[in-house]
Amino acid sequence: MAEVQQNTGGDGKKGQQKKMQIRVDFTPMVDMNMLLITFFMLCTTMIKSQTLTIALPSNEKVDNVENMSQASEDDAVTIILDAKRKAGSMEVDTVNGKVVPVVYYYFGKPGGPEGLGDAPETIAARNNLQESEFLGNDEKSGKARGIREIIQQRNKDVLTEINKLKEKYASGGFGSLETKEGREKAQLAYDEAASKVRKDENLKKPVIIIKSTPQASFGSLVSVLDEMQINSISKYQIDNMTKADSVMVIDYQNRHHK
Amino acid sequence: MGRVKIAKKSTFIDMTAMSDVTVLLLTFFMLTSTFLSKEPATVITPPSVSTEKVQETNVVQVLVNPEGKVWLTMNNDTSSNWSNEKMRMALLDKVSEIYNETHKNKPVNFTEAQKYTFSKLGSFGVPLAKMGEYLDLVNQPEGQTKMDKWLEGDGDPNHPTGIPISWNDNESNPNEFQMWMKAMRQSSNENLVSAIKDGTGVAIKADQNTSFDIVHLVMDNLQTIHMNKFTLLTALKGAED
Repeated sequence: MAEVQQNTGGDGKKGQQKKMQIRVDFTPMVDMNMLLITFFMLCTTMIKSQTLTIALPSNEKVDNVENMSQASEDDAVTIILDAKRKAGSMEVDTVNGKVVPVVYYYFGKPGGPEGLGDAPETIAARNNLQESEFLGNDEKSGKARGIREIIQQRNKDVLTEINKLKEKYASGGFGSLETKEGREKAQLAYDEAASKVRKDENLKKPVIIIKSTPQASFGSLVSVLDEMQINSISKYQIDNMTKADSVMVIDYQNRHHK
Repeated sequence: MGRVKIAKKSTFIDMTAMSDVTVLLLTFFMLTSTFLSKEPATVITPPSVSTEKVQETNVVQVLVNPEGKVWLTMNNDTSSNWSNEKMRMALLDKVSEIYNETHKNKPVNFTEAQKYTFSKLGSFGVPLAKMGEYLDLVNQPEGQTKMDKWLEGDGDPNHPTGIPISWNDNESNPNEFQMWMKAMRQSSNENLVSAIKDGTGVAIKADQNTSFDIVHLVMDNLQTIHMNKFTLLTALKGAED
């Protein structure tokens, strides 16, 4: 560990103070420190979690009636979240302990303009529910797939405007991107312009109503809220399933997942 | 013939400089590390493209486990004159006041010692009627272990852990979860109250596989007491994923 070397010089004169050399070996100290560093490195949580802010309408019944009338407009898209079920039953199927999300959607009113009706034949004939998936963009072509493609088609007007703004930003139309300050300024200008486009009344915009069966996972709710953000949807709401919605989902499952 | 003499060299390497570096690194990690706080349920939050950072202070976190049990954690802005302990004590006073309004025949009252124990709890999720019994466990030998065991319920499926929550759209007759949230909103800590109003002050943390009706129950309860804006805790993922 530590050693003290003494010069045992025989040739030294008598009475001269002996020179001592003291050396301490720090290797074990370094070993211990490395262990401690490893411990603290493993214990730290560097990644902070992110949040997603949502605002829901008030729970009062009066508001709901208003929303319903708004929802029945033609440009409404209803997205119903569900989980993949085991074949032939209503039980939720899991893959590696994860719930597989399934997305249904329909445009306008349930059952089309005439409504769904009560008879089983009309329900099966008028059911305008379609199935989709959360797929994201195609890796090679970068084209949107699944539910994202459907939302993008509906929100085409806004997205073309937003893409124009993105190009303008990339080419320096909102200010130079050379310096950090310039980038921040350009980003602010871009954000302002983008939010103006999203709220522009002259553009055709869909109203998206998000509904969910009780079995759908929380993860799929967050995924669908993400899609709203990715596709610049300004008007969306989370609502409860109506009777017609449940009837259509059950009818769809009976016909397609036997 | 003179033999070539090989000079004897010492193999001693001076480790002092190395030690200096390691101590510096160690200090850095010790100072920056924030330990994972112990939570009653482990959840994996769902991935999202949102890049908003989570609020560290002035936030009430609602932890929902996959079975639908609810715990609350409150983090305060300790720079103001409200420490976390003081805040929790005030909160317990407030919530028992609200509770006793609707439970006149079975009021709950807490002693100073019980309030002190409560102020030391990181996250809490015990029905108010059982809270006193739970908090008293700390006085027994090995109190902390007993409290943890109590929460686990010793295998009794009907054991009351988690804050009682149920479907309720009557604001004047709140359930216990709503009482806690109301007490948070009525606290005298202005920073927390304004954060709750902004929507950044309430964060729901749930597992990605938790079914929607469990999360919906919590959201519906919040809507009933007019907390319409809140945040969901997510993990980061790229936009292209």
